[in-house]
Amino acid sequence: MQFKIARLFLSVTASTFLAAIACPASAGEASVTVLSVTGVAVAGAIVVAEPANPVPRPAALPRAVMDQRNLMFVPEVLVVRTGTLVDFPNSDQVRHMVYSFSGAKLFRLPLYAGRTQPPVLFDKPGLVTLGCNIHDNMLGFVYVTDSPWHGRTDSEGHLVLRDLPPGSYTLRAWHPLLDESGSQLEQRLAVAEGPAANVEFHFKRPLRQPHMHHGANKKWEDY
Amino acid sequence: MGRLLKPAGAPAPALAAVLALLGSATPVHASELDLSVDLRAVSSDALPSRLGGGLGTLRYDADHQGLRLGYLRAGLRADLADSLRLTVEGVAYGDHDVNAVDLTEAYGEWRPLPAGAWRSRVKAGAFYPEISLENRMRGWRSPYTLSFSAINTWVGEELRTIGGEYSLDWLGLAQGHAFEWSSSIAAFGWNDPAGTVVATRGWGLSDRQGTLFGRFANRGQPLGARTVFYDELDRRAGYYASTTLRYRGLLELRALHYDNRARLGIEAPKIADATWLTRFESLGVRWTPTEPLTVIAQWLHGRTFEDAAPDNNDWSFGSAFLLASWQQADWRWSLRYDRYRMEQTHSTFEFLPFMLGQDGHAWTIAIQRALGEHWNVALEGIESRNDTALRAAFGQPTAARERQLQVSLRWEK
Repeated sequence: MQFKIARLFLSVTASTFLAAIACPASAGEASVTVLSVTGVAVAGAIVVAEPANPVPRPAALPRAVMDQRNLMFVPEVLVVRTGTLVDFPNSDQVRHMVYSFSGAKLFRLPLYAGRTQPPVLFDKPGLVTLGCNIHDNMLGFVYVTDSPWHGRTDSEGHLVLRDLPPGSYTLRAWHPLLDESGSQLEQRLAVAEGPAANVEFHFKRPLRQPHMHHGANKKWEDY
Repeated sequence: MGRLLKPAGAPAPALAAVLALLGSATPVHASELDLSVDLRAVSSDALPSRLGGGLGTLRYDADHQGLRLGYLRAGLRADLADSLRLTVEGVAYGDHDVNAVDLTEAYGEWRPLPAGAWRSRVKAGAFYPEISLENRMRGWRSPYTLSFSAINTWVGEELRTIGGEYSLDWLGLAQGHAFEWSSSIAAFGWNDPAGTVVATRGWGLSDRQGTLFGRFANRGQPLGARTVFYDELDRRAGYYASTTLRYRGLLELRALHYDNRARLGIEAPKIADATWLTRFESLGVRWTPTEPLTVIAQWLHGRTFEDAAPDNNDWSFGSAFLLASWQQADWRWSLRYDRYRMEQTHSTFEFLPFMLGQDGHAWTIAIQRALGEHWNVALEGIESRNDTALRAAFGQPTAARERQLQVSLRWEK
């Protein structure tokens, strides 16, 4: 156990050191760490830096893809800017019927296979929960934000938001297994000349247990 | 009881209804057709099987060894509209059934998009109730063993919902919850003979499902004439209610109450039988704590009545099984223990100087290996030890130890 802790510490220290070399401290960076209620690094958390002054939306945004493979949405969470067109290809052998009842985007795609459906425009910021009416275990999310500055924490609960113009920001953290709300999920950040700002989020409740797909086979059809 | 020995009449005339349903369907958006062929090499010392009119508990008996057709099946899923799917399962078993090819299921399911966390579903046609936790493959087959548990063998033999089912689902997963819940209620007809097999032969262990229009040729043996399982005799619908609870994909619980509400004492010469009033409860749990391991347990207990006076001829029957299955890469190992019993509690059968009954247990072990995407090879051994009272009426010892070894080669596409 002690060895594992020492190795984790060395790993964190080394990665921080390497990150510091690769990204010299400068204005416009925020180094974010997300920790669980017990202080353990949270991987896969989404962190978005929302500027106090809205950023103009570019004329054209790159299209994004939310794939469906092995009866799962891939990626599980897709973060896009408001106004992004998202393709929903179906890479499975069986047909899917993708839908969302979320306020940020209400839509449904008819039963389909392959790449037969036109992309869906996500034109309002917010969290969009995706489901499939044929396969109830399929669950995915599209996180739509006006901000171009966002990222997902790595296995050490860490991410660096770069190229932040000086100014005021609200940093928001979210995770697909989050089981809480409140001010602990937001932090104010003033970006100015100088070294990268360090920000830590501490969740107050344990993450929910993930839904497992043990023992199932995509060829089966439970009766 | 004597009516069981009479020859069978014509099969149920419901085929026309299904064909009409198929024919009148709106144009199909898209459809999936999957095919399976299962060939068996069998060694068995079992007593004569029910399929030949016998009182053995296994599918293949000592007279039906060697190379056999496990099944040839075709499953069609046609999407008639976005939320309306038609499912038809056709099968051939290559045994004594008068129909070389027949159907096990034919139904439509309306599955509209959920409204928030809630969704309604409606099924209509001929289909299985949501009772089994082991029959997970298309065509109501088990991925764990070749032969089903005693409980689900009986469900496959005698039960089918020919009617309608309404289900209400609570999709908690999409709402950030760990639980999902579903409940169903169904009204059905054409299940008035249900109970006959479990009250006479008792329980069995087989993957031979009853077909919607099938009947076995009369072999002149005790169950030879009792061939039509799905018939409407009393013009009164039966019902069942079931509920399923799922936790994080790790645990699934199912409960079902079934009552075919048959009016007793209605004779049906065309199938050489009468109405059987059958009620039972079933509880099941499937636990998948890790990716490779699946554990399933199921319990069923019920009563069946066959006489105009309910207390004249009645039976209680019950069974339970525990199955553990381990899958690693292309291999799957499964072990199942079945306990089963049936007991006649009142009898007016003057020609039988004893009460009908059965008391037995069985061990089943199966090893399977997937060979690429389309092929699967399986080895299964069963030992079923039981004491079945009715055998005495035919000069056979009531106690038996029946063993069956099967090698299956399956192709699927």
